[in-house]
Amino acid sequence: MNQQTTSPARAIGQGLRLKGRWWVTALVGLMLIVVLWLLLNLIIGGQCDGPCVVGALAQTLRVATPIAFAALCGVMCERSGVVDIGIEGKMLMAAMVGYAVNLFAYQALKDSMGVVAAGNLSRWLAMFAGVLAAMVLAALHAVVSIEFKTNQIITGTVINILAVGLTGFLYRQFLAEHLPAGPGTFPIINIPILSNIPIIGPILFQQKPLTYIMLITVVVIQYVLFHTPWGLRTRAVGEHPRAADTVGVNVYKIRYINVIAGGLIAGLAGVWFTLEAVDVFNPMMTNGLGFIGLAAMIFGKWNPFGALLGALIFGLGNGVTSTISIFRPDIPSQLPQMLPYLLTVVILTGVVGRATAPAADGTPYEK
Amino acid sequence: MRKSYVSIAAMITAATLLAACAGGGASSKLKVGLVTDTGGVNDKSFNQSAWTGVQKAATEFGWDAKFIESKQPTDYEKNIDQFATEKYDVIVTVGFLMGDATAAKAIQYPNIKFSIIDNAFFPTKGAKVCDDSKKDCYVDGGLKNVTSLMFQEDEVGFLAGVVAAGISKTGTVCTVAGMEIPPVVKFVTGYEAGAKWMNASAKALHVYIPSFVDPAKGKEVGNSMISQSCDVVFGAGGNTGNGGLLAAKEKSLAAIGVDVDQYNTYPEVKDALVTSATKNVDVAVYEYLKTVNAKSDKGGILTANIKNAGIGLAPFHDWDSKVSDAVKAKVKEATDGLKAGTIKTGYQP
Repeated sequence: MNQQTTSPARAIGQGLRLKGRWWVTALVGLMLIVVLWLLLNLIIGGQCDGPCVVGALAQTLRVATPIAFAALCGVMCERSGVVDIGIEGKMLMAAMVGYAVNLFAYQALKDSMGVVAAGNLSRWLAMFAGVLAAMVLAALHAVVSIEFKTNQIITGTVINILAVGLTGFLYRQFLAEHLPAGPGTFPIINIPILSNIPIIGPILFQQKPLTYIMLITVVVIQYVLFHTPWGLRTRAVGEHPRAADTVGVNVYKIRYINVIAGGLIAGLAGVWFTLEAVDVFNPMMTNGLGFIGLAAMIFGKWNPFGALLGALIFGLGNGVTSTISIFRPDIPSQLPQMLPYLLTVVILTGVVGRATAPAADGTPYEK
Repeated sequence: MRKSYVSIAAMITAATLLAACAGGGASSKLKVGLVTDTGGVNDKSFNQSAWTGVQKAATEFGWDAKFIESKQPTDYEKNIDQFATEKYDVIVTVGFLMGDATAAKAIQYPNIKFSIIDNAFFPTKGAKVCDDSKKDCYVDGGLKNVTSLMFQEDEVGFLAGVVAAGISKTGTVCTVAGMEIPPVVKFVTGYEAGAKWMNASAKALHVYIPSFVDPAKGKEVGNSMISQSCDVVFGAGGNTGNGGLLAAKEKSLAAIGVDVDQYNTYPEVKDALVTSATKNVDVAVYEYLKTVNAKSDKGGILTANIKNAGIGLAPFHDWDSKVSDAVKAKVKEATDGLKAGTIKTGYQP
């Protein structure tokens, strides 16, 4: 590694590019976290003890869940050459549908099958319905941008605006007032044995189901993209669709399936808000996390593991923000609030270096 | 004959909602419009409360009433313009954040009466009365057509703090706060002062979150403070604060709601909800519109406080038996002290 460079961040970045090994990335990430933690403790005067750190890390994983899902949706779409900035809209739609189905299914079921069973069933039903709603929007995106070859940025924007309007309208018509109480969010699932491990247990194995699903999805997509024929075809279609077409890959089919599968994942990100985080829906509640997910995707250079790391860093920034705010109320609240975003910018420019999108990303394919 | 019959009938039924809906088209009717903040008219909180007040007045006086929701801050002026071009007589704007838009539009439309909640404009501001100590001074004669409806959130926050410190077992209470703007800061300052007044060794934590529509983050922040041994969570930030209430409920701790009696508006957390620090926005809006109806409105600042019962704690509901008489007596003592001015909340504008 060249040690003569101007800044350590750049040196790390170069190291990353030269070696390009996953463990280097992981090591750098770990170092950054330790440095951050030391800095944080300096700021808050050492008040964050063991349980506080564990709590903050568990929170990091929770907050990172919807961002990681959003980033994975981006990875699925963009690896096959379709830009998707409509993730936010799909999330919002899934959040609302999930909330509504959870509420009304519970009302319909609770008399016949008991409160607990009805709650469990309605939550899973709601998750299914929310994901389905997001897939419908994804299918719309797919048809318009693959079949009719419109500009994908515009289609994505249209989906975002459509979702804001539609959820706002439906919310006001049916979900704003005189609602019965719902069954609440998913309970925390403690993984047997593993959840008893000190430190790691509370962080990794005492979470709610969607967090586990997220971690599994990351691994599955990493495997599918880089170790299966389907993944190879997807990447070929994203890089050079004509070449892929020449050797007999059905470009349209690959893109359709990837975009709709992306919708499925964005739907999981959406239902996280109303089935895992809180038991309420309010308009615009996704608060731009879909776009943060896109940033995490770019940070991770269109790799699932990288995307997860990006999401975790943003989640960590959030945890650090609230920790600083709690212990140092004398610092103007706006300063710590900037932190997650500042962190994103610094890491994107200083550490990640050039991130190259799939070559055919955003270009409709014409036979 | 037929025409007069219709008008008499309309007058008789003016007190019912039906009349307000069915009697459209009469040109002499006063028109009142409400522009909500980004929380929207169903926010289970103060936008909703303001709309309730407008509806009540409109029903009673037989006016036309409509609302427009702002999706983002850039909508404020647009929405006011929309009411202005439709020749509305009174425009109510909800929330501190709409201050600049309301002031600008009040100057642009001097014949429309404006009323803003949570942002104080001084009506008599001219070049002469303008001094540097007062903000929002307009050289062209001031905002005579604006009535500011203000609330002393710090006072009701204080009472909530007294209750919180009274029922806290750990001695640590906390606030999940929304954007750091005066009405929210007043709630937080009052709450912490109240907790310290009740129990001098009480610890008070708070975190401001720059959004009113982010319950997921509110809940995470609530959890963080709960892990710092906070056991009474005050949610002072619209939907964001609701997340804090939920965090308390899931950990079987106590929560205190805000703006309206959240026992009714957010029943999911009623197990945890001790009380709510309420602002009677609906009453304030209604009282203001009543003066408009009587043509006795003169602009300026109307302040709701403990003394005139424009703010106050909501009933304890399910917690009534769990809040000890000693705490209730302390609340009474604090109320009297605030009324008499012997207790100060420590809020500095």
